[in-house]
Amino acid sequence: MSADYSSGAPGAAVSVGDNVPGVPGGRRVPDVGNNDSGGGRTFAAPARHPVWRAAGLLGFSPLGVVVVIVCLPLLMLVDNEYWIKTLTTALMYGALAMAFDFTSGYIGIVNFGFAAFMGLGAYVTGCLCWHLGWSPWQGLVPAVFAAAVLGLLLGLLTIRLGGIFAACMTWFAAMAMLSATSNWVSLTRGATGLTIPLLFKSAANFPYLVTMLVMALVSYLVLSLFVRSKAGLAFQAIGQDQEAASISGVDSNYYKVMNFTISCAFAGFVGWFCAHYVGVLTPQVLHTRATVEIMVISYIGGRGSLWGGLVAALIIIPTMEQVKSIQALSEIMELRLLLYGLLMILVMIYYPGGLSELFKTVVRRVGLGGWAVAYKK
Amino acid sequence: MDVLREVWDFLSTAILRGGMYSLMAVGLALVFGVMNIANFAHGEFYMLGAFFGYFILNATNKLGLPVFVPPVICILGAGLGVALIAGIIERTSFRALRKRSRGQWLMNTFLLTLGISIILQNGARVLFGGRYRGVSRMWKGESLNQLFQIGLPPDRLIGFLIAVVSIGGFVLFLNKTSTGRAIRAVSQDEVGASLVGVNLGFIHTLVFSLSGLLAGIAGASLLSVTPASAFMGTMPLYKSWFVLILVGMGSIGGSIAGGLILGVLESFAITYLTQYLGSGSSEIICLTVIITILLIKPNGIFGKAVKSAVE
Repeated sequence: MSADYSSGAPGAAVSVGDNVPGVPGGRRVPDVGNNDSGGGRTFAAPARHPVWRAAGLLGFSPLGVVVVIVCLPLLMLVDNEYWIKTLTTALMYGALAMAFDFTSGYIGIVNFGFAAFMGLGAYVTGCLCWHLGWSPWQGLVPAVFAAAVLGLLLGLLTIRLGGIFAACMTWFAAMAMLSATSNWVSLTRGATGLTIPLLFKSAANFPYLVTMLVMALVSYLVLSLFVRSKAGLAFQAIGQDQEAASISGVDSNYYKVMNFTISCAFAGFVGWFCAHYVGVLTPQVLHTRATVEIMVISYIGGRGSLWGGLVAALIIIPTMEQVKSIQALSEIMELRLLLYGLLMILVMIYYPGGLSELFKTVVRRVGLGGWAVAYKK
Repeated sequence: MDVLREVWDFLSTAILRGGMYSLMAVGLALVFGVMNIANFAHGEFYMLGAFFGYFILNATNKLGLPVFVPPVICILGAGLGVALIAGIIERTSFRALRKRSRGQWLMNTFLLTLGISIILQNGARVLFGGRYRGVSRMWKGESLNQLFQIGLPPDRLIGFLIAVVSIGGFVLFLNKTSTGRAIRAVSQDEVGASLVGVNLGFIHTLVFSLSGLLAGIAGASLLSVTPASAFMGTMPLYKSWFVLILVGMGSIGGSIAGGLILGVLESFAITYLTQYLGSGSSEIICLTVIITILLIKPNGIFGKAVKSAVE
């Protein structure tokens, strides 16, 4: 889906006049100009200014840059502890959804044990802190490393099977890990849970928000760098048609395992933060329920967009928090999950493209199509 | 004698568990084979079956019927109730999805069934609360008491017999009736089947209901073993998917055998390995076995190449 937009990327530099249909000799640009939307104005795509170029290389479209520049100060202005906490959680889910989308949206494999990789990262740092007295920051590298190694191993074993097989195998592995963490009491303290030192000494939530924000941005930057690299092209080719990709000389197993490993590493990365942010770690973080929550957010965000998951999390998580706080509904703990299920069904049936598709459509209708395309070499 | 006793326990547990796994897996394999749906709400049908069974059993027990009548009504009623719900779900959601879906059908159905599963689980939690609803004994009667002495709980034994009868009836239905032939035709080639006059919409709804019926029967007949609760469906779902992956997707005969294999595996882990590896051993053994098998035969023990989710 993103392929046809990037093919129009050279058109980002084309001025309005060239887009007008029917102009003799005018070059028809495939999709940046909204020739077919009828009515409405078309705004010029931004010129190839170095700023946009630099942003594009980092994976931001001009519109994305504007949104980030507007939203960042707004986030910093929040001074209510409750909202800071909610936003941190939302960013956490957003980062997870992005890492999830990196696999599901690009190579078409659903990692149905995603929460277990996040939980592994959390448990590695947790156990190091609990048993060996490490500081939280020291646990970062082992956590990411452990999740990546497990991802690599599991990827080597199962990813070549593809499709629903891979989804089930990752799920089985996650169930086995859940069972192991619950039963290996001497290491993980089982259902009692590990108490983990917090990342910061102060009780304020603001440092966590900043950390999580940086982590989410780093996740986005790294993942989108991968997506825009040669490997990213291979991912998309595999996702669209694996056989065609293999015939064209793409080593699909190599790229699939690579993609899976990277995604798992980021899951471990966020898991590390989650452990030191929440402070108590129980086997429940590995549960399928957590995977489902991340999945729903990711799919509502839209497949193959990366940022869709982040935006969806920033909308859904605070909304769910608000729903939870409504007095009449507070009795029903399950309402949140019911809403997740309903959203999932509706999105799947009626709008499989999710938020990112909606955004692209709206932007094209408004005539800002060129602004939503990141510069590409 | 002790060794004999242990082997007897091991075998009886294996077969009694295996029968129920087969019953669950057959429904799942049917839906996968005919409709190409990766149903992750199958465990919820089991859960609904257990709840229906519980309420029906409680209601019928008060009527003072002969001892064997209430459980029969309970299991049949639960199966039919779940079949009805499954049919409604198929009509409302999968039909809508089929109309709109372009490509990636299998993955879309997987996510759709996940949504359905969340709704059913949490809906049941809201409606029925968090407490477990079970019965201590389903099949009462003096003559059954002797079974305890040879280490066979009557409820489990009769549950196994029900599984055998249901699967047998189901296989007969598939092979001997014209509707069954139509179902098999659809599973081989949808377009071809519709060309010779098979009503695809009807077959799809029927197949989904049938799978719900089998899962509902399983849930109701094990009511005394696993009490009804909102989140009970996860384990049966996990087991039946395990069976499907183990034997290869969409093969009915394979899933019957696979259920028994899983029963043996689990029973082995519980009888012989729990003392060394702790209570999580059965899952770890199962995972090891399935990974080994998939390394040797990527499409499962009896499997042929399957259309992957990446279409």
